Amino acid sequence: MSTPEIHDVLAEVMSVKRCRGGVYRAELVAPEIAAVAKPFQFVNIKVSPGNDPFLRRPFSLSRIEPDEGIIEITWAVVGKGTGIMATWEPGREVKILGPLGNGFSLEDKGLTGGFIAPLGGKAPELILVAGGTGLAPMYPLVMSARKSGFTVSLFYGGRSLESLMDTDRFEQSGCEVHISTEDGSAGFRGVVTGLFESRLRNLSASDIVVACGPRPMLQRLKSMCGQRNIRLYVSLEERMACGVGLCKGCAVKTSGNDPGYRHVCTDGPVFLADTVELGGE
Amino acid sequence: MDLSVNLAGLTLKNPVIAASGVFGYGEEYVKVGDIRWFGAVSVKGTTLNPRAGNPPPRTCETPAGMLNSIGLENPGAKVVIEEKLPWLAQFGVPVIVNISGESYEEFRTLGSMFSESPLVSALEVNVSCPNVRAGGMAFGVDPRSCYRATYAVRRAWHGPLIVKLTPNVQDISSVARAAVEGGADAISLINTLVGLAIDIKKRKPVLGSVTGGLSGPAIKPVALRCVYEVSQAVPVPVIGMGGILDYRDALEFIMAGATAVAVGTAVLVNPSVPRSIVEGLIKYGQEEGVERISDLVGVAWR
Repeated sequence: MSTPEIHDVLAEVMSVKRCRGGVYRAELVAPEIAAVAKPFQFVNIKVSPGNDPFLRRPFSLSRIEPDEGIIEITWAVVGKGTGIMATWEPGREVKILGPLGNGFSLEDKGLTGGFIAPLGGKAPELILVAGGTGLAPMYPLVMSARKSGFTVSLFYGGRSLESLMDTDRFEQSGCEVHISTEDGSAGFRGVVTGLFESRLRNLSASDIVVACGPRPMLQRLKSMCGQRNIRLYVSLEERMACGVGLCKGCAVKTSGNDPGYRHVCTDGPVFLADTVELGGE
Repeated sequence: MDLSVNLAGLTLKNPVIAASGVFGYGEEYVKVGDIRWFGAVSVKGTTLNPRAGNPPPRTCETPAGMLNSIGLENPGAKVVIEEKLPWLAQFGVPVIVNISGESYEEFRTLGSMFSESPLVSALEVNVSCPNVRAGGMAFGVDPRSCYRATYAVRRAWHGPLIVKLTPNVQDISSVARAAVEGGADAISLINTLVGLAIDIKKRKPVLGSVTGGLSGPAIKPVALRCVYEVSQAVPVPVIGMGGILDYRDALEFIMAGATAVAVGTAVLVNPSVPRSIVEGLIKYGQEEGVERISDLVGVAWR
């Protein structure tokens, strides 16, 4: 196994924007990280110098531009750290450790079970299911999936139209986008798993579902895909300190009789849903 | 400035040690930092049998620090001896093995197992982990049981023996004296302080095992006070730790009486912290005309 390249860099904030869905997006100049980062890898950011907040914060990459040397992160303000980030001005420098985690690559046999796109047959499908800010890490995967010959569709849900992030970049990449809102203010009325249910019936064993969002959404998907033997990968979050495997903090229980734990930072953040306990089962 | 220090017969090229619990067995650290900046490394608290650790959430940030309840997740002594230590030996940095037993008997067995390995520079007896139900801190809150745990290892292990103490006691000096009577060659302190955080939306404790150990800069004044007291109470060297982030913090601990210092939580935020401390100490020595770092040990009370 080759040693992953992890860089601890001082990155310049190039832009910070407030976007639809009440989220913020920042572009950071980090050529070392942008050059090697894979979809679903993440970075651990010291949002400000000093001891408050003290720990770094993990963020997935919502866009990776190796040629420009830029990575983009997307966040909602949920606490002190993300609040400080919302006040970042262009030109500021922040400490970033990354890329971290294994990422998710459709060419990686370890992750996709050696899946190879069949020649001449129906193009394999990649279905993305996202809830809320779980949409953020999906875009880099769309880019790499299209290069690998997958047809990609996105099922994306939120509470209301106002809570949804914009999906323009997905549509522009040729991704079929399906929207749900709990209040019916846009798209399907209901939760995203309800919207996805109709598509699930048409999936076959060669197709792959990748999901990121709240735990209840992931739990429901695990049960739905499990019943139909559809391969489901889930991107997990857990309270994290170091992001590199030093502290063993971000534990996720393994499923089955094995009483052990795996770690979001070094074993994930993407897991085959059957291998981990998502709770509610 | 000469940074080398002598710790219970063990010579360290510099006084900065990786604290147990933030370094694993080095395999993850090498991806983000250079082990050779450490004067010594203390590996993850190792138990006789493998331990899966505690249910999540295991960490929670707090003002200027964090709570953790990892629960001594480790592969067990056998795997450490056969796989982890041989790999770690390639870096040529002294390895301190932190051991945690559930009984005196287990402490003795661990001492005897590690005495078979030529790759162990010192043992650190962990009588201070707040996150396990059996053993752990229980041995470190009472001088008598601390003496017995130390003595159990001492009978089986003839190399340098360190005992790591908890600050969650009334009189830490009396526990330190008991460890020395039991055969300790050095005392390391402090382990984490027991703490709690509540999730106000769930109306329940944040951590999966309710309480956790508080570490980071928030505990530095408590740690300094303990080092200041214990280094005057016992005739053996003290390894000081608790919230050290930079060379200034390290100097405070050394002046309070620590012969060496350990960095823990700081490594999680800044993996290259040993290098910055070592470079800072060298610069301080030049500016202040200090020839040997050991000349500063305990100057605050000497």
